[in-house]
Amino acid sequence: MPQLVTVKVDRPDRRPIRVWVPVLPVALVLFPVVVLVVLAAIVACLVFRIGVVRALGAGWRVISALPGARFDIEQGRTAVLVAIR
Amino acid sequence: MTEQRKDILDMLAAGKITAEEAEQLIAALERDQAPAAAGHDARPKGKVKYLRVVVDATDNGEPSRVNVRVPLQLLRAGVRLAALVPPQALVKANASLSDSGVPIDLTQLKPEQLEALVEHLDEVTVEVDSPDATVRVFCE
Repeated sequence: MPQLVTVKVDRPDRRPIRVWVPVLPVALVLFPVVVLVVLAAIVACLVFRIGVVRALGAGWRVISALPGARFDIEQGRTAVLVAIR
Repeated sequence: MTEQRKDILDMLAAGKITAEEAEQLIAALERDQAPAAAGHDARPKGKVKYLRVVVDATDNGEPSRVNVRVPLQLLRAGVRLAALVPPQALVKANASLSDSGVPIDLTQLKPEQLEALVEHLDEVTVEVDSPDATVRVFCE
């Protein structure tokens, strides 16, 4: 499961933005929202006749596989970095 | 048989060197060739973890660079997630793709085939060089 998401934005003539998001604490704070999202996903699975357990398992696999992903885009003096650890 | 190995065996046949010397020379030759072979294909087979996409381009005189690293495990998870898409959605996606000029029948694309594709991605290296941009897709 992802532990830390790092977002860095460098723009010319502006202060650079550095954000480190600890996933677990944020997920705990947003727990009610997470529960609502899971419930909505279950309802969507039932509506579209998709196996709920399979769908939740596949979703969890995607979240678990995120660590190591890195997106680094530079254009001239502007740069955006999103890294998941 | 390499040229150097053949030379050693020729020297042995001509009696210029002894069998022990020939063995030592061949062993030294193999030691030299092993790192060279490793350097040629530096990626250890079966150990790759990430799909990398690196784009270097020049856009309106400004250099731009895209460097994306995606875990192969994420691709496999995505394939499993895509397998859950209901058939009626695939039919609509097929129609949209066809309208866009991409006649691909997604219903014929089986999850096993996609998984096999991801499994063999480690052997894929794509390099595109143009005057304005360089694109490299590889696994590491």
